[in-house]
Amino acid sequence: MTDGDRLTRPIPASPDRKLGDDSGPSAPDIRKPEGGNELLRRMKKVDPDQAKRYRQRSGQ
Amino acid sequence: MIRQILAGVETEYGLLVADRGAAEQVGDAMDLVRGFPNLHFAGWNYRYESPRADLRGFRLDHLAQDPEDAKYDAGKSYGKDPDIRSDRVLPNGARFYNDHGHPEYSTPECLSLQELAIHDCAGQRVVHAAAQAFSEKSGLPVWVYKNNTDFHGASYGTHENYLVPRSVGFDRLFRDLTPLLIARQILVGAGKVGNESGPSCRYQISQRADFFVEPANAETLYRRPIFNTRDEPHSDPSRYVRLHVICGDANMIPDATARKVGLVKLGLALCESNNAPLWRVSDPVRAAQSISRDESYNFEVALESRSWTTAGEILESYFAAAENLLELDDDLRWVIDSSRELLSKVHSDFPSFSRKVDWAAKRRMIEAYLEDSGGNWNDPELRAYDLEYHNVDPDSGLHAALEQMDEVAPDPDLAKLEYYQEHVSEPTRARARSIAVTKFKSDLVDACWRTLTFNINGEFVEVDLPPEAHYPAQLADAPDVGTFVTMLRGVS
Repeated sequence: MTDGDRLTRPIPASPDRKLGDDSGPSAPDIRKPEGGNELLRRMKKVDPDQAKRYRQRSGQ
Repeated sequence: MIRQILAGVETEYGLLVADRGAAEQVGDAMDLVRGFPNLHFAGWNYRYESPRADLRGFRLDHLAQDPEDAKYDAGKSYGKDPDIRSDRVLPNGARFYNDHGHPEYSTPECLSLQELAIHDCAGQRVVHAAAQAFSEKSGLPVWVYKNNTDFHGASYGTHENYLVPRSVGFDRLFRDLTPLLIARQILVGAGKVGNESGPSCRYQISQRADFFVEPANAETLYRRPIFNTRDEPHSDPSRYVRLHVICGDANMIPDATARKVGLVKLGLALCESNNAPLWRVSDPVRAAQSISRDESYNFEVALESRSWTTAGEILESYFAAAENLLELDDDLRWVIDSSRELLSKVHSDFPSFSRKVDWAAKRRMIEAYLEDSGGNWNDPELRAYDLEYHNVDPDSGLHAALEQMDEVAPDPDLAKLEYYQEHVSEPTRARARSIAVTKFKSDLVDACWRTLTFNINGEFVEVDLPPEAHYPAQLADAPDVGTFVTMLRGVS
């Protein structure tokens, strides 16, 4: 089967659209989780230098 | 009805031991795995592994290694490969071992998405239990993270594996799945503070996008590709290939794990029936990185012919094709419906979106911290909170906190997770491995995805485990290992 025989086609993308066109919706409204006591309690216990110390072997 | 696709997920966990570093990590991971405190069989059969074989019909002389990482091994000898890997076969048919200094949990093969997501989540408990045992023995605090980056340029993988007929071939798989692999990260990325290559950004939706440099190759350690061409089927190579997807992230939200695998199964079903939508992405690597860094969340993708589309449109094209041309099973119906629902919410209802999408849950968590602390996105400690989102300790991990607060989709209940740590529910070949470990461990010589080998009256007997066969629960009724082998040879 060749591409021309395919039964489906993707939704056509308009050729005159260019990357960066400001036609989409704006960034979403990001609000903090409700009832964040347990989360914030744990976050306050996080060692802020933990990620600095965190060095890993490169894996797959 | 479409073919049920056997699949599994393998996750290399990050490992941090107090006062130790990457130079000691291989030895620490070996000790951690070897100290696994629960029932297991120690050993693995490597005869059928072929990581240098390429789906495109050739074989690499060697696999590339990160030259910076190789410095850690200078002048060291850890022993023979099987000793370094320290394989453990678990009573649920999973494999637990050391892979390049990372404790790796490979789920048993599964048919349904829900089963696989539960096994992946149960794996977190297995690795956590091993870490606790290692900490008690060594006297050192130990942290284990289900993530894919150390924020300093080292990455480690979460790979998916799908059993595919060899007749499909590389060309169709690459053409039909690459657009999907690029686009799906908007629903299944795990999120990352900052970047480790290219222009700087404050937050991106993928842990792994920074690390891919080629559209397709067989490498996994260095010069990683979007589409991995390793040809290591773990089954009859004349009939099957194992699609080895390496570009995904480790998910903390089980719902996301199921969707990550389900989207690829959807793509495979369309590919196998020659019905996948045809997208000509101009530069798959750049597209993956561009989507990952797009904080407008429009997720534009450049196409050939100087046109463009969006990741959402790419996904929708697969959904529409599947609805029109396939007889969907319940899993694929769920993938389409739940994915569409999420896509409709990314801009209009981000809190709901974030319940089932790791990158969004992590971003909201960090926003909550910034609001509480008065900090900003340039604070270097944000990476520590990113890291702790992936901490598998249920008493200190930040994803675990969100789960306990019902801010993200729930984990399977504890009783179910405990059960899945030691059992298999589906009639896959993992059931044969499970029975071998739990009932005939003293007769077992080695195991792997494809075979089991037993010592029967001094003779080594290897049994092939066809991946498409049905393995009934009655196999567990075999009174002795000889009968078990006979029963295994009769499955179909």
